[in-house]
Amino acid sequence: MSDVPDMTATPANPAIDAAVEPDGHDAPVLTAHRAGLLGCRSCGRVWSADTHQCARCGAHLVPPDRRSLQAVWAWLLAGMIFYVPANIMPIMTTSSLGGLGGGGDSTILGGVLQLVHHGDWWIALVILVASIMVPIGKFIAIIWLALVAGKPATVEEAHSRLHIYEVVEFIGRWSMIDVFVVAILSALVQLGFVVSIKPGPAAASFALSVAFTMLSALSFDPRLIWRGLPLRRRKDVNE
Amino acid sequence: MSDSSVPRPPSPARRTAARAAQAGFSLVWLVPILALVVTLGLAWNAFAGRGELIEIEFSDATGIVPGETTLRFREVTVGKVESVSFTADLRNVVVSVRVEPEVAPYIDSDAEFWIVRPIVSAQGISRLDTVLSGVFIEGFWDATPDQPKTHFVGLAQPTLARLSGEGTWYVLSSPGAKGLAEGAPITFRGLEVGRMQNLRLSETDESVLADMFIEAPHDQRLTSASVFWDTSGFSVSLGAKGLSLNVASLSQLVQGGVAFSTMAAGGVPVDAGHLFRLQPDEESARTSLFGSAEEDIRLSMLVDNNLNGLTTESDVMYEGLAVGRVTELGVDIDEARPEGEEVRQRITFVVAPSRLGLAPGASQQEAMKFLEDRVAKGLRARVASSGFLGISKVVDLVEQPLVPPDAIDLAAKPYPIMPSVPPEVSDLGASAEGLFNRLGSLNLEELLQSATNMMDAITQVAASPDTQAIPKTLRTTLEDTQAAVADVKAMTQELRDANAAANLARALDEAAQAAEAVRLAAADVPGMVEQIDAAAAKVEEFGFAEISAEAEGILTDLRAMLGSEDAEKLPRNLSDTLEAASGLLNDLRDGNAAGSLNEALGSARVAADEVAKAAQTLPELAERFQRLAARAEVVVAAYGGDSAFNQQARAMMNELSRAATAFGSLARTIERNPRAFILGR
Repeated sequence: MSDVPDMTATPANPAIDAAVEPDGHDAPVLTAHRAGLLGCRSCGRVWSADTHQCARCGAHLVPPDRRSLQAVWAWLLAGMIFYVPANIMPIMTTSSLGGLGGGGDSTILGGVLQLVHHGDWWIALVILVASIMVPIGKFIAIIWLALVAGKPATVEEAHSRLHIYEVVEFIGRWSMIDVFVVAILSALVQLGFVVSIKPGPAAASFALSVAFTMLSALSFDPRLIWRGLPLRRRKDVNE
Repeated sequence: MSDSSVPRPPSPARRTAARAAQAGFSLVWLVPILALVVTLGLAWNAFAGRGELIEIEFSDATGIVPGETTLRFREVTVGKVESVSFTADLRNVVVSVRVEPEVAPYIDSDAEFWIVRPIVSAQGISRLDTVLSGVFIEGFWDATPDQPKTHFVGLAQPTLARLSGEGTWYVLSSPGAKGLAEGAPITFRGLEVGRMQNLRLSETDESVLADMFIEAPHDQRLTSASVFWDTSGFSVSLGAKGLSLNVASLSQLVQGGVAFSTMAAGGVPVDAGHLFRLQPDEESARTSLFGSAEEDIRLSMLVDNNLNGLTTESDVMYEGLAVGRVTELGVDIDEARPEGEEVRQRITFVVAPSRLGLAPGASQQEAMKFLEDRVAKGLRARVASSGFLGISKVVDLVEQPLVPPDAIDLAAKPYPIMPSVPPEVSDLGASAEGLFNRLGSLNLEELLQSATNMMDAITQVAASPDTQAIPKTLRTTLEDTQAAVADVKAMTQELRDANAAANLARALDEAAQAAEAVRLAAADVPGMVEQIDAAAAKVEEFGFAEISAEAEGILTDLRAMLGSEDAEKLPRNLSDTLEAASGLLNDLRDGNAAGSLNEALGSARVAADEVAKAAQTLPELAERFQRLAARAEVVVAAYGGDSAFNQQARAMMNELSRAATAFGSLARTIERNPRAFILGR
């Protein structure tokens, strides 16, 4: 969503060179916003604040705005909603010997517990981390980021928030490991009467949940991390 | 570029979107709302589709696993066990089953549930698949939705009705459980039309009851005249009709089973739950009258005779037709009766009204009325003999016109008492007994011993060298005879040449005279025959003992004769005779032909006389034997009917008498005329 009123902001601003990077932690922090500049989220090129389209990559230039967090919240909520059936419903249906040899439905947590019962601690840990701890951690991280985005913070805090954001964005794709396991098993273990594995409804829910969470993380504008910085020290320097 | 100009107005859409964003609403919120709707929809679907929860009580939950064990209807899974718990008193197990909503309305009060497990029984091995897949609960219910019910009591075993559904339940009553088994087949003409189950002891009498399920449309075949019989095992019975071996199919030999048939017409259709009585075998079923046990009349009779041979399955006969069956034999003690009659034997029997000639469906009262009328006219019960040699006995209802009036004692307990008359132990039985006794008193062993001795003596005679020399002498004699005949021929030629017709005519006259003498002798025959008749009559009068003694005496004489020196000399005498004969012939040949001719003719006449005499003796003997045999036959025939034994006995007697006579006549003939032994006359 673009910010129409900002289009009328001052076209000429202090030196672009000075606005690029603060010098160290103690140095006063000059953000692009303060410098009257606007970064392209697609290619990183910096334009003056009244530019609407990135001339390099053609992306639409949007100034950071807390209202864009609505998208984050919305995607996150959708992801969390789908995370509930992903854990309640069976993710995988196995049957061996045409149903005679047993088998049945297993949920994510149930599978983890079964693995623990069988003594496969390592695999249980991997699945527990990938399927339960990571998604929940992501939820918490995104919620926290969305809450604190634009709020006053020190430079250190801003750096740690950025790290967390990067971690969340990086780790998002790995949450799909569960879905991959189910998809591969379903494709490979189709021995007809002997053993067959079918994906359960939870697999789709889980995939949707992960996808929505990734979209949520993607919707987050990391520039907001810097937006609420107290700029007193920098002001002191300038003034 | 017109930097100074007023920025171009944004598109209305963007403006609207911006306003929406400013108002705090973004279109992206549709995503979580949609997600929520979808998820809630799924949840609601799952919740709504999970079906009804019903509870089934079982005595134990062998093999039932919550979450895995299924409920099946006609082998289609329609539910799953959710949990297993106990009843409050811990006596039973309550299995909670989540039933699919499509079938839930049909599970009403008529629903039945049982656990399907592998079964190995005489009927075969079934449900072996449940060994691998685990047990499951099977349910059966009809297709009419009714007031739903959620608590059920499971059956210990599958009900029979589930297989076909259509059919009727009846009850089978049997004195014992033989042939009855859980699930045993019920066959009609060899085809299985139903099964039985729920064997139990009757609470009202001593019988065993079983529920029978007869599939439609075969249940329409059952009428009140249908009879059931046991087809299990095999039976060997020696009865009035001889030996009978009865083997059903091998499977029924193992697992038991019953068959039924409607053997009599006129039965009325029966309702469900009708009680049928099981007959021990098809034979009894055929003679059975108990199409419907409920209409039978029970009667008792009191007797004080030997009941040996009367059993609880004996027939009750009326006018030669089996109308009932003896059901109980017991002793009845009543001090009120006169001295010596306190203890009597009570025979209880049932009578089928339909067999008495009453209309089908006649009530007990009508049948009892009929019997009372008949008793007033002289109908009495008695024990009578029947069957092979009269060993087995029956209860016979007979019309005895000359008995003092009596009536059925309707007040007697436990059953009305029918007046009885003394038993008629069959004459046949008695005479057979007498025959056996007489046969037993015959000295057969001694007779045989005598015969053996005689045979020994004959062998001795035959083995003596003199006897063996006879054939040679005989041959010589024959050769001489041939020569003599040749001479006679030559002599005759001479005679013809010498015109000896006159002499010949005279000789013929003499021959005629000889023939006349023969005729006269034959006239004496009737007298002799009469004498023989008298002898035979005497034999008849004296009976077998005398015959036996006589035969023995004859044999003794014969043995003495054969053992005497004379008998030993006999062969020698014979050969002497033959030598004399050959000497005579030699003389004939050698002597003066013409002169000797008359002499020869005279000798011939004498020979002819002897021939005639002997010829007389032969038919006379034959006739005598015949008469004797006829007498013996008459005697034996007096002892009984035409049974095989009697025939054999008679034949044996014939042989004996014939042999005895033959011995006697042989002895006499040899005594009188040793020459006849050789010449056959």
